[in-house]
Amino acid sequence: MSPLAQVLVDGIFTGASYALMAAGLALILGVVKVVNLSHGAFFTLGAYVAYVLEAKGVVHPVAAVFMAAGIAFAFGVYLGKSFINPVRSHPFAVAVGSLGFAVLFEQVAQMLWGPHPLSIDLGAPWATFHGVTLRRWGVISFLLSLGLTAGLSLLLSGPWGLPLKLIAEDEEIARSVGMDVEKIRYLTFGAASAVGAAAGALLAPAAAITPTMGRVPLILSLIVVIASGMENMWTLFFLAVGLGLLSNLGAYLLTPSWSYVLLLAVICLLLVLRPSGLATVAPGRDY
Amino acid sequence: MKKSGALPYAKITGVLAAGAGVLLLLPLAGLDAFLLNVLTLGFFVAVFAGSWDIVGGVAGQISLGHALFFGAATYACALLTSLAGWPFPLAAAAALLFSAAAGAAVGALSAPLKGPFVALLTLALGEAAHEFVLGQTFFSPRGAYSWGGEGGIPVLLRSQPLSPWTAYYAALAFLVLSTWLMLRVARSQEGLIWTALSGSELSARASGVDILKHKRRAFLVGAALAGAAGIGFAACVGRATADDFSLELSFQAATFAAVGGRGTIVGPVLAALVLHSLLQGTGIPPAGRVLLYALALLVTLRFFPGGVAGTLRERARRRRMVVQGNGEVR
Amino acid sequence: MSDLLLAEGITKSFGTNRVLRGVTLAVGRGEVVGLFGPNGSGKTTLANIVSGLVLPDRGRVLFEGKDVTRMTMDARFRTGISRTFQIPDPYPSLTVVESVRVALLCGQPARPAEQEERAGREEGLDSLLVRTGLFAQRYWPAAKLSQGCLRRLEFARAISCRPRLVLLDEVFSALSAKDEAELVALMRSLHREEGISFLLISHNPLILEELCDRVVAIEDGRVFWEGKPGDLARYVPAANHAHGHEDEMREEG
Repeated sequence: MSPLAQVLVDGIFTGASYALMAAGLALILGVVKVVNLSHGAFFTLGAYVAYVLEAKGVVHPVAAVFMAAGIAFAFGVYLGKSFINPVRSHPFAVAVGSLGFAVLFEQVAQMLWGPHPLSIDLGAPWATFHGVTLRRWGVISFLLSLGLTAGLSLLLSGPWGLPLKLIAEDEEIARSVGMDVEKIRYLTFGAASAVGAAAGALLAPAAAITPTMGRVPLILSLIVVIASGMENMWTLFFLAVGLGLLSNLGAYLLTPSWSYVLLLAVICLLLVLRPSGLATVAPGRDY
Repeated sequence: MKKSGALPYAKITGVLAAGAGVLLLLPLAGLDAFLLNVLTLGFFVAVFAGSWDIVGGVAGQISLGHALFFGAATYACALLTSLAGWPFPLAAAAALLFSAAAGAAVGALSAPLKGPFVALLTLALGEAAHEFVLGQTFFSPRGAYSWGGEGGIPVLLRSQPLSPWTAYYAALAFLVLSTWLMLRVARSQEGLIWTALSGSELSARASGVDILKHKRRAFLVGAALAGAAGIGFAACVGRATADDFSLELSFQAATFAAVGGRGTIVGPVLAALVLHSLLQGTGIPPAGRVLLYALALLVTLRFFPGGVAGTLRERARRRRMVVQGNGEVR
Repeated sequence: MSDLLLAEGITKSFGTNRVLRGVTLAVGRGEVVGLFGPNGSGKTTLANIVSGLVLPDRGRVLFEGKDVTRMTMDARFRTGISRTFQIPDPYPSLTVVESVRVALLCGQPARPAEQEERAGREEGLDSLLVRTGLFAQRYWPAAKLSQGCLRRLEFARAISCRPRLVLLDEVFSALSAKDEAELVALMRSLHREEGISFLLISHNPLILEELCDRVVAIEDGRVFWEGKPGDLARYVPAANHAHGHEDEMREEG
């Protein structure tokens, strides 16, 4: 039973990282109102940052997380400001454009680090229960994710969350109250991307680092956001953890390839069986 | 009836004829086999781009998994000729039907969805097909080796291998025919309905347009054309590989359409032809090529949303409005 | 039942917001019925339910005796119910003539022989454009039209396939006096000559008084009052405010 239990525990930790990504995606969907296909690329960025840092001798995950988040924030703000904001109202430009950034990044990563999987040292185990090893990356992922979810949950329900909610629900009013909606949008985009990169940096020790590694987290976080909506951060968290668990289990029992195919099947089913999708994504008119 | 929206037909036809003429004569200018092959494959990629434009440009359905239809055709050809021993023409016919059927299926699933979710669904379907095919291996009938995945499956032509020149001219003929067909479709009544539902679904519904039915049709036609391009491509390359289903390929279709001008057919076809031939002909490795495509895409989307043809069309239209001084607007 | 349209017991909520609470509305053949109400009264939602854009939670819509409650908007168009939109959404890449052609292609209920269809359609298209005063601009990109012309385009589209009922959603609002007068004349001639029934949604009591046979006033999701247009100002306080306001606006020019 032990290997299975390990898989399950790792799955929970993996899921916690995915919850971070999903939270970021949900923010982008709610505040910037776009389906962001470049989110996976930021995850990959985070993982490669962790790799580079390790190569330079910096091994602590928190350092990697901060570095990754910082770089991703800068990139995210730039991307949000220069591209996403101006083309927001054109679904084609957003979808294909954000995909374009993802593909661009994948190619750059491939040119810099090659297509073959890289890995980071897993790190010494922190604790062991009944044959299940808890490692640093896992515990930190879980705690960080829990903290962020709690933080976001409080933020959105409290006074600080009002600007974001207002922009999500009624842009006109937000503007008339004097909010710099554009700025909040690209800052949110940057913050969300930073969170995605943090997820990548956290998960890096447990994953095979390749240029296209971000595709699975992207699909997974999309599933979570679409299935749970943007109302409740905790639903998001649990759904992500659950999905991470299942995904890990799937990879263990079948192959990683099949696990990916099954995830894709899930998102297809989700989209097909809920044709209304999410409420208002495209910033067009509502009738 | 005059359509003031399009560039005058005469001009477009003239440009296309000139282009076709150049392509016709090019081999005589002494290109080596490699470049000839690049162009030949480029012709099929161009039709593939045009087929994307039917779905994503004219009908406005953002398809990010268009390679699914392409790969379906190449794989069908390969499997039917290599494993089942079918003669190529029969396999080709079956492959065409297969990709059309895939188009019908994808269309049926996507039609009720809103824009970004169509993109997502088609992306997921394309990726699923790619991942699935990557893992499949097939055993050759003679049992000596296995095929599949990145190595691909051979496509058997039964006749003597095509000379580069024959392949070139056959592909060129295919390109000219397909482009003509696609333009006809885009300018037909059905094409008009697609343009309408792409522009304002609300107004279209209020005009009696059965949105679902017409979206499905667009996918069907686009997929069939992509399949046709795939068949030709497979015949010339001699193999079907998992790359035929890849995201990179789907992405290229969308890129060529964006750069060339969505909805113009001619724009995406020419953009594909030029970009593909240029970049592949100069020997840039695949990663570099895709990188450049991505850059071209982003610059276009941000600064020239209509693409090359779209920008030209807009300029022509503005000029014509000034010249004609069409009556009172206000 | 001689009613052309009967919307019965229509109830609709969006989340916790109860927009319509059991509204019943009828339009007879050849009648022009006005729907009056302030913003938020539910009149737009009612229009959306009648035209097929939105499904009601409860209630049904009968058209010529047939239950069309669950019929899609495009099917309703083919059945004889059409509508205009308060904010027109013209096709960005089509000309005026092409925009109307789309309706003629898809909006026909029956299918006559192919040849006649094509010839008849082109003639119909031209005369339609002349009728709605858009012939001169027929090759203009639809998106570049002025507000007044866009409203005309809405009309053209709505009447292109011989509807029996046309819903006009604030079609006269925010227009210049000239544009408004022309559209009013157009509507009158359509009513007189084709016998089309209209459901006219407006917050402007003057228009309603001028054009309607009967007015229904909606407030807070319920039918507040129903009667002759001339009595509107007397029985509906909201109309008085709007009345005075319109007078002011008229004076200012």
